[in-house]
Amino acid sequence: MSAERPSERYSRQAMFWAIGPAGQERLRTGSAAVIGCGALGSATVELLARSGVGRITVVDRDFVELSNLQRQVLFDEADAAAGVPKAIAAAQAVKRINSEVAVQPLVADVTPDNVEHIVSEVDVVLDGTDNFETRYLVNDACVKLGVPWIYGGAIGATGMSMTIRPGESPCFRCMFPVSPEPGTMATCDTAGVLASTVVAVAAIQWTEAVKILVGDREHLNPGLVGFDLWSNDHLVTKSSRAPECPCCVQKRFEYLEAQVTSRAASLCGRNAIQVSPGHDLKLDLAAMGRRLASVGPVTSSDFLVRFTVGKHELTIFADGRAIVKGTSDKSVARTLYARYVGT
Amino acid sequence: MELTVKLFATFRDGRFEKAQLDYPPGTTLANIVDALRIPRDEIGVMLVMGRHAELEHTPAPGDTVAIFPRIGGG
Repeated sequence: MSAERPSERYSRQAMFWAIGPAGQERLRTGSAAVIGCGALGSATVELLARSGVGRITVVDRDFVELSNLQRQVLFDEADAAAGVPKAIAAAQAVKRINSEVAVQPLVADVTPDNVEHIVSEVDVVLDGTDNFETRYLVNDACVKLGVPWIYGGAIGATGMSMTIRPGESPCFRCMFPVSPEPGTMATCDTAGVLASTVVAVAAIQWTEAVKILVGDREHLNPGLVGFDLWSNDHLVTKSSRAPECPCCVQKRFEYLEAQVTSRAASLCGRNAIQVSPGHDLKLDLAAMGRRLASVGPVTSSDFLVRFTVGKHELTIFADGRAIVKGTSDKSVARTLYARYVGT
Repeated sequence: MELTVKLFATFRDGRFEKAQLDYPPGTTLANIVDALRIPRDEIGVMLVMGRHAELEHTPAPGDTVAIFPRIGGG
């Protein structure tokens, strides 16, 4: 395909004034990583593939389940029945959608050990994660390496997005200096989410990624974008970089250096993993128990909350530790921790 | 002074979506948040009349205050 004559496949997109044949060619030679391929991730991966972004890396540690299908648009019943890893199922779907795109699936937990390698190989990173811990890690890596990334979050009918251009715009820690304590934030698995909210956030993320890839910095979102689809509220904030930001100003990459990252450890011979928050913490166990009661059977005491989800049992302690029984896979344990305790 | 306070996502649980509330003059966003028993570290963004505002900000009578939690799901 030449820059003068984009293929018929992309003709309607290339007609758009801000893309054109030259922009379409930039998409073809461009690359993106989608970190986390749940609801947001699968929607952005599909849009990136259909629009002809030449190389897409899809990273996810989880596998497809029936409860995903309501909103995770790349997956189907066969994927759920077979428990296919999401990154693999996404790559297979991308190949069916657009064989011109090179897609690299990575079935992995994003950690301080691999995040820099993942983001260093692409032009832009899109957030598809379901937890704040990974977002702070991605922020550290992207700011350190100067790679733009696009935060996205969805819960209920409320969505948010923010485009981070390292050194130019506020970074994630400028906006949210301190990571929420595990167990304090609602997740999609405890509060629910509408598919339309996810798709709307993904649409914003894809559009921002394409602006970056075609080189249109003038029209990037200036700050945090938020909306509630049910109550018809929309916001766009223009924010400034925090003068004392530990990440983008002081260049202290605390998540990358694993100083504030949760840890997962196998419990020998027990088919269980212990996930620790990585710092001192005092959980409100009563509030945690109330939140989880809508998900599955909960028993609690002054010292712990225990609940069962599928074949796994989570025992959560006041110091933020959780023992996840029913798996010896650290990624599975960290996924369940992120879903039900929250990070 | 009367303010319109709008809450979003999980902040609505056990509270309200939108309410006209009466506050003493000089009330800050921090006072409003604390009175609503919203943990400060769960706040994502606050807006006053559509503009980004910090906890120390003092809204004017008749202003609309919007309070969003951090949105973490994906």
